[in-house]
Amino acid sequence: MPLLEAHNLSKHYAGVAALTEVDFSADAGEIHALVGANGAGKSTLMTIIAGANTPSEGTLSLDGVPLRHGGPAAAQAQGIATVYQEFSLVPHLSVARNIFLGREPVTRLGLVDRAGLIAQTCALLDRFAITLDPMAEVGTLSVAQQQMVEIARALSQPARILILDEPTAVLSLAEQENLFRIMRRLRADGMLVLYVSHYLNEVLEIADRITVLRDGRIVGTRKAKDLQISDLVQMMIGRDAPVAPTAADSPERAANFVITYATHAGQQELTMQAGEIVGLAGLVGAGRTTFGRAIAGLHRPGAIATLTHEGALLNNSTPRQAMRAGIAYLTEDRKKDGLFAGLDIVANATAAALPRTTRGGFRRPQVERAQAEAVLKRLHLVAARLGMPVAQLSGGNQQKVVLGRALMTEPRLLICDEPTRGVDIGAKAELHQIIRDLAANGAAVLIISSEFEELQALAHRIVVMRDRCFVADLPVGQADQQEMLIAASGGPTEKETA
Amino acid sequence: MSALAPNRIARLRLDRWAIALVLVAIYLVGLVLSPSAFGNPVYLLNTVRQVTPVGIAAIGVTMVMIIGGVDLSVGAVISMTVVLSAALMDGAASNMPLAIAVACCAGILMGAINGALIAFSRVSPFILTLGTGIALIGLTQMFTGGTARGAVAPGFREVFNARLGGTLPVLALFLLGLTAVGLVIEKRTLLGRHLFLLGSNAQAARLAGLPVRGITIAAYTLSGLFAALAGLALLARSGVSSTQAGQGMEFQVLAAVVLGGTTFEGGRGGIIGTVIGVLVLGLAFNLVNVMGLPYHAQLVVMGAIIIAASALYGQLGGAGN
Repeated sequence: MPLLEAHNLSKHYAGVAALTEVDFSADAGEIHALVGANGAGKSTLMTIIAGANTPSEGTLSLDGVPLRHGGPAAAQAQGIATVYQEFSLVPHLSVARNIFLGREPVTRLGLVDRAGLIAQTCALLDRFAITLDPMAEVGTLSVAQQQMVEIARALSQPARILILDEPTAVLSLAEQENLFRIMRRLRADGMLVLYVSHYLNEVLEIADRITVLRDGRIVGTRKAKDLQISDLVQMMIGRDAPVAPTAADSPERAANFVITYATHAGQQELTMQAGEIVGLAGLVGAGRTTFGRAIAGLHRPGAIATLTHEGALLNNSTPRQAMRAGIAYLTEDRKKDGLFAGLDIVANATAAALPRTTRGGFRRPQVERAQAEAVLKRLHLVAARLGMPVAQLSGGNQQKVVLGRALMTEPRLLICDEPTRGVDIGAKAELHQIIRDLAANGAAVLIISSEFEELQALAHRIVVMRDRCFVADLPVGQADQQEMLIAASGGPTEKETA
Repeated sequence: MSALAPNRIARLRLDRWAIALVLVAIYLVGLVLSPSAFGNPVYLLNTVRQVTPVGIAAIGVTMVMIIGGVDLSVGAVISMTVVLSAALMDGAASNMPLAIAVACCAGILMGAINGALIAFSRVSPFILTLGTGIALIGLTQMFTGGTARGAVAPGFREVFNARLGGTLPVLALFLLGLTAVGLVIEKRTLLGRHLFLLGSNAQAARLAGLPVRGITIAAYTLSGLFAALAGLALLARSGVSSTQAGQGMEFQVLAAVVLGGTTFEGGRGGIIGTVIGVLVLGLAFNLVNVMGLPYHAQLVVMGAIIIAASALYGQLGGAGN
């Protein structure tokens, strides 16, 4: 009998179906991955299992016994532990205090029993082979270590199912290996690990079985060893992958952008050609975003980028000047400095190129609309109407709107910082094609990405950054993932700095 | 979540019209309590005439609040304009054009100073305009020696305070005209769109290459200009020079703007809402007047109405955010 069984599960929001008649089962002692494009319903299914969401119809049972719906606490009490992408730790408390928050062992006086707390924490960490200092303040830990604290907290109560939501999004390779090691150990202990992820290669590596969702329905559950990435992609999007991941031909134009980057670590140069896509690889914290933003006029003390185009100095002293010089920057954090969340799609798309649509300071809404429509059509934007608030779009479509804004300024140099983060696989392929087209039309494109496959699919050349320095510069054909990770992490013998 | 979209859209629409519902509600209450007053167009138009100075200033402050700023100096600018233009008119009709022009320029200058100081420093608009407002009150007092100076030019009051056909006040038309100007700026100009973009997300606006400082200065300059025009309207309505004519008026202005749906966070709202907010305040004031309450009790009731209207408004729309 399967450990977890969902029968005929449906979920509607205001009449819109997020999940439709889902039958799903998973066994004890299994790592079971849930994959699907954004909006496919995997988050809905996951939150229902975690107790954070109630189904409109259908039942969930654990070992054949129907689960009571009573919120996340009830699910936890019934043995379902969840680690969400967003952590809920208290930064200034210790690891031990965080793990047993609200359930601390107390002395006879009702005070926290520090010795008992530490002992219990050590026992717990040892049992799952998690290396953490129980006394360390959580705020001082790396993201990966904080994730371990979350996992330890989830496992501190008897659990039979552990749900992990996009756990590797923030991890370096070594950290990911460590997580996988713990997951395998949990599997050996007879636990069911439900693993929700966008990263298909990792899913294939770690999962025993994979369930694919599309448009709120189950497409199928397969054994991971029988699948290839292309099979998964096809199941997720219901057709073959729209673009083969091959880099465009190398352009043969003359070198014309020379970027000089001055940091406390010294002064270096990066050259780029019109029509060339350069991938910038590196670990989180290597300073890639700081570099990209400096080119776009968002300088910081100790991170100044100057650049010349065919020998002529370009003014990138402010983002406004940089944009006038033909440099556009696509932010990695749409919410923070990409989207105008309260405004509509047209206002968002035209924001940077608005003066091109006006006459004598007066707006011409039809022209704005037409230009926005033209560029967004090129990007295959899916929206009910252009007048709808941009906040109501999916992540992929929001990204297209922000990219459309950059394209409307007709940039000569486009910097894309994590251009497909939080974007589903169909939109991702489209965004890749758009970036290739842009380069084919003569723009130089710098891609900052943490996904090696993305760099390999897009770039002509891959530059590796470590601690603010360019440490390797390889044509894409010669760039091997292993080698690149070694360069990014400072060699096999050194300790990783991310 | 996108699945909630239809509900959200309904909320936003309701949000936009909530203040109009409040206006209708207050009007209906007035009609019940005093049909002779609230059923009379002359009385209603007179209400509009009364609120004209606050209304004009509120149009300018709306633009500042759309970018996420605030202008507390409008009361001081109004007082300054009243005294300055009365002093320059000096009771002679021939001085009128100069007086009006100088008053407007003074308002523009004050607004531009506010805008530049905010654009180039990190002082919060709240503190900065509070400070410049207080300084301006001092300058006005120094200029006048502490007592009101000057006299309104013949013709100024007669024209601006007249009633066309015996009913339609010229001041109400003035408010209408400036509302139209404000609406054109808000809806039809590059600046108008830039105000919303900057208010919606200042960091994204900077990254999108918008002239953030220029937009900031323009918004405060417009606020200064509209405050000066409000001062002229106030002078026309009252007919007397006073160094304290605009004292405390910034709070009525802020109440009207916020009632109208323009938030302190910026990025949303607009002039239509503000003007309706001004009318709500005007009608509410007349309502308590008609009820025959003593002045200080009127203030208490007014305050309560502002809070209640704002709460209702939040229930209808703002709560969703």
